[in-house]
Amino acid sequence: MMGLFYMLVFPGFIFLSVFGMAAEYCDRKLYARLQNRVGPPWFQPLADFIKLVSKEEIIPEEANPSMFKIMPVLALTATITAFFYIPAWGYKALYSFNGDLIVVLYLLTIPTLTFFLGGWYSTSLYSKIGAVRALTQLFAYEVPLLMSILAPALLANSWSLSEIAKFYAQHPVYWFFNLLGFAISMISLLGKLEKVPFDIPEAETEIVGGTFTEYGGKLLGLFRLGIDIEAIVGSALLAAVFLPFGLGLPPVAGFLLFVLKVMGVICTLSILRTIFARLRIDQMMAFCWKVLAPLAFVQLFIDLILKWIPLK
Amino acid sequence: MGLVHKIVTWSRIKSPWIIHFNTGACNACDIEIVAALTPRYDIERFGIQLKGTPRHADVLVCSGPVTKQIKCRLKRIYDQMPEPKFVVAVGTCACSGGVFDGCYNVESGIDKVIPVSAYIPGCPASPKAIIDGVVKLLTGLEAKEAKAK
Ligand code: SF4
Repeated sequence: MMGLFYMLVFPGFIFLSVFGMAAEYCDRKLYARLQNRVGPPWFQPLADFIKLVSKEEIIPEEANPSMFKIMPVLALTATITAFFYIPAWGYKALYSFNGDLIVVLYLLTIPTLTFFLGGWYSTSLYSKIGAVRALTQLFAYEVPLLMSILAPALLANSWSLSEIAKFYAQHPVYWFFNLLGFAISMISLLGKLEKVPFDIPEAETEIVGGTFTEYGGKLLGLFRLGIDIEAIVGSALLAAVFLPFGLGLPPVAGFLLFVLKVMGVICTLSILRTIFARLRIDQMMAFCWKVLAPLAFVQLFIDLILKWIPLK
Repeated sequence: MGLVHKIVTWSRIKSPWIIHFNTGACNACDIEIVAALTPRYDIERFGIQLKGTPRHADVLVCSGPVTKQIKCRLKRIYDQMPEPKFVVAVGTCACSGGVFDGCYNVESGIDKVIPVSAYIPGCPASPKAIIDGVVKLLTGLEAKEAKAK
């Protein structure tokens, strides 16, 4: 009974949907304000979602109907599952075990794979191009993201997110040395969420809608909700690994602090997306492999040295 | 049922996603449509977003007279959009054929090929007129829903 409540209401589906839509609103409003516009009203993501859900559903004749339909659901479930392993308020996640860091990163990769498969199975030319780009991009940002998140874990001597949070709460000085990793993972997260400098797989102005070209109605609504929740989960992951402050607070204050941290990450992401323009896929590959990956190595070395010579 | 229906109508009015299609315009109307999409006019206030693919769109914004070549393509794009869908004809040409009416290569206005929900006259129609037209279409939708009840 309790498990069902966790899954569906809090902190599961309903809470994450509301939070995801609120985050999408903040993102779009901030983006508009930075462009000197008024921006959308507060209910915009909700109206978009209801409208999409109430629209006709079209499945292309050539597409594989079951694969086409199951991909958005898979993307949504994977991101919601990932959230259960992230310590949001308090030191402990809802479910935690040694190695949940890897599981969360793995679960966050699934949406990208569903974009690829969904695009591939819709058999339209544009969605195929988008699908291949999504996969190519995955290989570029995933390595720096993984390395920059593993570096703090290395220092904390644990693969469990709750343990990492506990370690940094006890040794707050070390937090300062992970700032480089924080910046790298933030940029990689932009790639994961396919936001503007790295929105190459979607690229509405060149390949129509990329992976989502053939998706419409309910399925598109689910995909969009999945992406919103992925943004929340990704930001919560970064907040848990790189900003582990004030975790011992009482429930309500701790919860507010958590929301504040996630919103901070999301707002930084939307500022980044305002000031950059879309890159080409080869530029993105070069940037990720030649700049981000070596920097992530530097972060790893810093943490290794710190482990070797502990601070007093 | 009544409440659900109301919510759905509300969401449709608050979030119209458009797709722009040039059916043979002289390009002036297209430039005005693109101008209406710029931050200067900020149509995201009304929830309007430009989409690249007909599958995502609710409103097909057409400009120009329908030429003989584009006729079947226009029909195909229209068929690719999921229901409920609306068509807005921008510019005098799109409304009636305008100066191109009667040309050997021109079919006439958009409404000869697909059903049109709103006409926006002008040569070219100004961005303000286009936004006004789309908003009137949506409020008209609301009134129609109210009358149907
Ligand atoms: S209405 Fe005027 S501006 Fe628009 S396409 Fe026709 S001739 Fe060109």
